[in-house]
Amino acid sequence: MRFYLSYFKLRFITQLQYRKAALAGIATQFFFGLVYIMVYLAFYESSSNNGPMEVGQLVSYLWLNQAFFALIYMYYKDNEIFNMIKNGNIAYELLRPKKIYFMWFSKIIGQRLADVALRFLPVLIVAFILPYPYGLSLPSSFLSLIMFLITLTIGALLMTAIITLYHVLTLSTLNEKGITNIFMALADILSGGVIPIPFFPVFLQKIANVLPFRYICDLPFRLYSGNISVSDGLFQMLIQVIWFIILVLIGNVILKKILKKVVVQGG
Amino acid sequence: MSFIYVNNISKQFKVVKRPSGLKNAIRSFFKRDYKIVDAIKNVSFKINKGEIVGYIGPNGAGKSTTIKILSGILVPDSGTCKIKGYVPYNQRDKYVKHIGVVFGQRSQLWWDIPAEDTFDLLKNVYDIPEDEFIKTKNELIEKLNLKEFVNVPVRQLSLGQRMRCEIAASLLHSPDILFLDEPTIGLDAVSKQIVRDFIKKLNKEKKITVILTTHDMADIEALAKRIILIGKGSVLYDGSLKKLKSKYDNNKYINIITKDKINIKNKGIIKKERTNNGYKFIIDSKVINISAFLNLISKNATIDDVEIDNENIDNIIVKLYEEYKI
Amino acid sequence: MKLYVKSLSMHLKSMLEYKASFIIAFLSQIMVFFSYYFIILSLFDKFDNIKGFTLYEVLLCFSIIQFGYAFCETFARGIDRFDRLIISGDFDRLLLRPKNIFIQVLSSDADFIKISRLIQALIIMIISLINLNISITPLKVITLFLMIISAIVIFFGIFLLAASYCFITIQGLEVRNLFTDGGKHMAQYPIGVFKKGFLLFFTFVIPYAFVNYYPLLYFIGKSNNVLYAFTPLIVFVYLIPCFLAFKLGMKKYQSVGS
Repeated sequence: MRFYLSYFKLRFITQLQYRKAALAGIATQFFFGLVYIMVYLAFYESSSNNGPMEVGQLVSYLWLNQAFFALIYMYYKDNEIFNMIKNGNIAYELLRPKKIYFMWFSKIIGQRLADVALRFLPVLIVAFILPYPYGLSLPSSFLSLIMFLITLTIGALLMTAIITLYHVLTLSTLNEKGITNIFMALADILSGGVIPIPFFPVFLQKIANVLPFRYICDLPFRLYSGNISVSDGLFQMLIQVIWFIILVLIGNVILKKILKKVVVQGG
Repeated sequence: MSFIYVNNISKQFKVVKRPSGLKNAIRSFFKRDYKIVDAIKNVSFKINKGEIVGYIGPNGAGKSTTIKILSGILVPDSGTCKIKGYVPYNQRDKYVKHIGVVFGQRSQLWWDIPAEDTFDLLKNVYDIPEDEFIKTKNELIEKLNLKEFVNVPVRQLSLGQRMRCEIAASLLHSPDILFLDEPTIGLDAVSKQIVRDFIKKLNKEKKITVILTTHDMADIEALAKRIILIGKGSVLYDGSLKKLKSKYDNNKYINIITKDKINIKNKGIIKKERTNNGYKFIIDSKVINISAFLNLISKNATIDDVEIDNENIDNIIVKLYEEYKI
Repeated sequence: MKLYVKSLSMHLKSMLEYKASFIIAFLSQIMVFFSYYFIILSLFDKFDNIKGFTLYEVLLCFSIIQFGYAFCETFARGIDRFDRLIISGDFDRLLLRPKNIFIQVLSSDADFIKISRLIQALIIMIISLINLNISITPLKVITLFLMIISAIVIFFGIFLLAASYCFITIQGLEVRNLFTDGGKHMAQYPIGVFKKGFLLFFTFVIPYAFVNYYPLLYFIGKSNNVLYAFTPLIVFVYLIPCFLAFKLGMKKYQSVGS
């Protein structure tokens, strides 16, 4: 465990060196948040019919989306891992006395945590200060806050499991572009990171609800504002955990198979 | 005035201090400490047309800063620099037509297409007239022996082949001055030889002035009569290679082939070593000259054969660096 | 110019060396950019207008911005990826050549994969135009043309500003995304739907409003002010300070080094 934590520390230190990047990231997230809130509000104001979410819940959703952006977006490639795969340095990785899957897993989550650690607080603070209807509301109850924190954490693990799986698949196809790219873009949409799922056309909502992606950001963000009730949330949290376990297992099994092939071929 | 005239140039850089550790990383996130570093300090030299000069020094001595100033990329903080009547960094557009630069660690060739296509682009970059371009190109292809691979995508070339193409690319516009920054780095012996021979010939036939930075002393020995040694930003030695060598060249390596046993101790013998067919000595020829030494040996043993070698240049440079503490 | 055209053909040649991955990347780009359109389509699935603008009006607005952006990403990629040029040291190499440095930077890179987005934007543009039922007059054709050109010009200007910034430091270049990506996201909606402060900022500081808001009002008949038709020309003036910034950056680079 300590070994895997050290990845996070290293990434965090690296990240700290790029303070201008951190500031720029905060500014970007904040700007995007405002733009999207204004767009949604303009739609709400222009129409007589009500939107699928209450304004307050929607605005909170959008701010949380920006503040924790680094924890939820799926379109991510770890260059170090990719280069290793491409130039064959993966062989060195095989020499280390740790499981490759969990090394990659730590690498990816370390990077993302380091990203989010520097950025989420300033965005949240400013979002809380902003006046109605632009501001972030308080969580609907203490319990929903707790649920939010738990599901966000499991969601981050789930996100990492999916991205790690994606890297594992790249190892077998040696093609980082193309189909996998499309897959990641779709995953981004289906997680609710692009637009909240209640805004989807109905048939797409049905699809999104049976896939694992929505447990990354749709679930925690809607729990926070009470759009999903605590009692519903408990059940969904269980599904979230099951998805996480399944995806980690799949990743491990596939990786094992691929590595066996590598060894048989003599590297 | 000399062809290349560098007078008293200096250049400073500001660098961020970055101590290690999480605590320090967090502190420097909020507050940065800087320090000023002298990249080069009061560097002066003159070079005549047609000279080949080896510009040497350890890593970080200020070699590439000097080369950047000489090639017009960087403006010095103080001092003057005039080359072929131009001030490089002020008249960059006109000046750079007269120079060619080869960076051993970087490539100007397009990775995915044949070198000849890059040559073609360079024709437009330097506005070389068509007939002149064809003539120069063919000459370079012949002399550097590029014919077999000039039409192959660069990514498929060996390092040696690529370097030869790089050199050709830098010479298409027939420059008067050629800057070579580690041109033989990573090359095999044959490629090194081809590159060296070519540069030598080029210098002889076209009177092209060559400034060469390298860590490979064999390059210097093969090419440069004069060297400029730079360390910690200042010129430490400027003169002929011969003179430098003679200063440190007291050590002789003497290989004696004999069946007899030699058992001597004398002043001036630095090292004695048994080989499978005789002995190897290192002597200080200032203390005991070679004939006296051989005399001594022949009293003790029958000499079948003898080989005498000078101190090799790498060791000289190491000694030089040690002496100047760089 | 000849140099630029020649470089373009070489970039294309380089890319076609990897034919299969070129085609796959080309197609995947279209899919990836679908998500932008997905937001608009979803929202219009739930609502019928945004401050009086209908779906196809918004799509027209968006496709013009996307077109300009994709155009610059394809043909002005050398400026877009200027940070790479500085980091790799290849910029020094360009300084060793006796050609206008700006043309050389422009020639240093091109990304033909982005043409897929250019085509995508064009298709959306045409679909919107067909569905909009606009009575076409010569002046409206000119307006549309000016809008498209100014969309290219504005991104070109922003790329230049970002490149100028790279001369000082390549750190925090992410701020560029605010003005390209952020501006792009915003300008996909008629800028009038935003609050006053945003409208003013994107009118006078970065003149997106002159690209696809004021001229759009005239084009779709929301305003009869003929002057609006020519507002895209203002964007050209904006290029001047961008060029000056680049010149200034060059000077600084040569005195400080990398």
